[in-house]
Amino acid sequence: MSRENVYLLGGYQTDFARNWARENKHISAMMREAYEGSLAVTRIEPRDIQAAFIGNFAAELYCMQGHLGAFFVDFDPAFRGLPTCRFEGACASSALAALSAMAHIQAGLYDCIAVVGVEQMKTVSPAKGGDYLGTAAWYERESAGIEFPFPKLFGKLGDVYEARYGLDNRHLARIAAINYANAKLNPNAQTRDWFMDYNHACRTGQYNTAIVGRIKVTDCSQVTDGAVCIYLASERFAAEYARRLGQTPAALPRILGWGHTTAPMEFVTKVAESEGQPYVLPWTRKAITDAYRRAGLKDCWDLDAIETHDCFTTSEYMAIDHFGLTEPGQSWKAIEEGVIEMGGRLPINPSGGLIGCGHPVGATGARQLLDAYKQVTETAGDYQVPGARRVATLNIGGSATTNVVFIVGR
Amino acid sequence: MERTIQTVAVLGASGTVGSLTGGLLAQNGLRVYFLSRTREGSQKGLEKAIAQARSEVIADNIICGDYDSMLSEAVPKADWILECVAEDLSVKQAMYERLEPLRRPGTIVSSVTSSLVLEDLPKGRSEDFQKHFLSTHFYNPPGKMSACEICGQSKTDPALVEFMADFLHRRLRRAVIPVRPTAGFAGNRIAFLLFARITELAAEYGVEMMDYLIGPYTGRVMAPLATIDLVGLDIHKAIIQSLQTHTCDALHSKLVLPDYLEKMIGQGHLGRKTRDKGGFYKRLESGQYEYIDPKSLTYIPAFQPHVRFVEEAKQLIHIGRYRDAFEHIREAKGTEAGLVQEILATYIAYSYMLVGEVTEQKYGIEGIDRVMMTGFNWASPSLLVYMLGGKEKTAELLASKGLPVPASLLEDTVWERYPFNAGRYFPAK
Repeated sequence: MSRENVYLLGGYQTDFARNWARENKHISAMMREAYEGSLAVTRIEPRDIQAAFIGNFAAELYCMQGHLGAFFVDFDPAFRGLPTCRFEGACASSALAALSAMAHIQAGLYDCIAVVGVEQMKTVSPAKGGDYLGTAAWYERESAGIEFPFPKLFGKLGDVYEARYGLDNRHLARIAAINYANAKLNPNAQTRDWFMDYNHACRTGQYNTAIVGRIKVTDCSQVTDGAVCIYLASERFAAEYARRLGQTPAALPRILGWGHTTAPMEFVTKVAESEGQPYVLPWTRKAITDAYRRAGLKDCWDLDAIETHDCFTTSEYMAIDHFGLTEPGQSWKAIEEGVIEMGGRLPINPSGGLIGCGHPVGATGARQLLDAYKQVTETAGDYQVPGARRVATLNIGGSATTNVVFIVGR
Repeated sequence: MERTIQTVAVLGASGTVGSLTGGLLAQNGLRVYFLSRTREGSQKGLEKAIAQARSEVIADNIICGDYDSMLSEAVPKADWILECVAEDLSVKQAMYERLEPLRRPGTIVSSVTSSLVLEDLPKGRSEDFQKHFLSTHFYNPPGKMSACEICGQSKTDPALVEFMADFLHRRLRRAVIPVRPTAGFAGNRIAFLLFARITELAAEYGVEMMDYLIGPYTGRVMAPLATIDLVGLDIHKAIIQSLQTHTCDALHSKLVLPDYLEKMIGQGHLGRKTRDKGGFYKRLESGQYEYIDPKSLTYIPAFQPHVRFVEEAKQLIHIGRYRDAFEHIREAKGTEAGLVQEILATYIAYSYMLVGEVTEQKYGIEGIDRVMMTGFNWASPSLLVYMLGGKEKTAELLASKGLPVPASLLEDTVWERYPFNAGRYFPAK
């Protein structure tokens, strides 16, 4: 069934290096900055916005604040009465908000929707934050009483790779080093001024402590505050918007394809069900291949870059073969051959990804879409992949439980 | 032959500036000699550099030694000699004399000084030394403050200054601000005039009240008197005296060292470096702070001021309504509001006045903007013009405070740009 094209009109990301609790700011201040910045960047006007969809994981826990959609209404007098809604799918929350915005546009309900991803996480201690994040897994079975449940779960992902295919931790260190190096090129990246290199990532010590198993600090994305506001629009709105900017609609990026799957909640179930199959996480693989099919792509080599969900180095290691850069279990080849680096055949995370750019949980999906937009409009500045025309994003919630993939291009 | 920098000798590597700047160089892949009077001192510098980088890996790029045993090895190998020794003309000149016979022709020599007269530093040195001598004024700590003011003296090769500006920007990711060779360059000249005025007002209104009124919500990460404690009252005095001696402008009379401050220094209340004696603040064992009473020079408990317009402005900032907060400050009435308005107006007026004097005219306000943001973590002057409602309203404010309204403000268009990420300069505190 042919559906209407949905356009991505850009937006704005807050500086992920900021600590909003230290600034004594309310979570709505972060949303407001993302929104006001997005107007300045896109030249969309308040009267254009017909709905606002908010992606957020756990503001009730981190900030004692729910009902985030209602804050959007305060940002402009024109928004009184605006339809708003909040979406939750753990780390994939704002990708779900974007998927829903897309569906609303294709259903003809709205022409222009603001999608805001937001998470304020530096309000609590790392241990408390780790516990809150545990609610993205099956808390009772996988998180309760465990200090850092997610490093443990994604450490297990590495263990599965090791058992099935073999895994050298130096390849994980290389993934971390690449993401940090890319983040240095991104003026909004959390770690842009941090020191980190391959040698540091290989060592364990006072400044790179082992968290659990093979997972060290440098294998992890960090606790991040951040918000992103992007706009999705119908063909009708895009045509009028393009005229306003003196462009043609063909110059505007659109969502070429998407994939959305949900795997069983518990990690051991996922892994048990994939036993004997080529891919460790088949539902993640399916979200990717669904997106390829919908976008009319043959395989990953039709892409120019990928923004993937490297919440840990093991999740990027998984993404490399699941996107099809290598045969299953051979992600190390793409790492050794420099394929995923800037200047490589298919760069992964030019932005620095979650490890380098940061991972404000509920904002990450929207951030990935914004970076995909920047790449295909050649506005990514120092982290531009030259000539990028098609970029994929993979946003996962939980232990690869919710999987959302978009292909953005022109 | 194209110039490259691969090896750097840092002199004064035991101190905070030398060690942390040297560490920054090592982080960026340069081979760095850490030199000071003793090897132990250099080793301590290395530890500070490791703590800044949060990685022992950088030690692979650092060689520690003392002047007597390692200067003759390091200097001939160095492509750049970064001098961070004591802020004293004779000490620096004596060091340059030792370098002269050791350095290769063409080796870059830079000083981190900003308050000494740059022209005096390389006096008596060879033509080649002077041609390759400049100031690279890194802000501290360089891991958090990216500003670096750069300036040659009359005999410096202009191409060298350009090369270093490019190197500092590309290789070390510095926010490079080309400045003119005037005392204090841009950042310290502006900031310390404001500090001086606030120390003067503290004599009348108290330390706690002034830091409350000119607190972070006015566009800075740290309140001003707390910042002087961090810098050290002795350093503050040295900078003010240098500015008093070597600068002259319409606001010169604000460069004061109040009597109480001189007495504090005399009694050893230098700030954080004299933690037991305190400075403007004294931290108690309980973690609470007391504040010095400028009249009695005794420490008094905090009284936690509460001024309505300040609290209302902070509340607006808390929810991200920054411009509304500053409209509120601009329109507030009363003595306290007058003080806040005066300090904001002085900052803006002085910054715009100095366009063309501390930075080249062609940069407009942007050079000063950059150094105040990346060297002090302050909202830039042009950002405050935006927040206060634009240049006409700002000009009215300046005039109402008896301050000059600089032509560079009236001609400015920088303030009109949308201030992305501006909120970071306005904590709701």
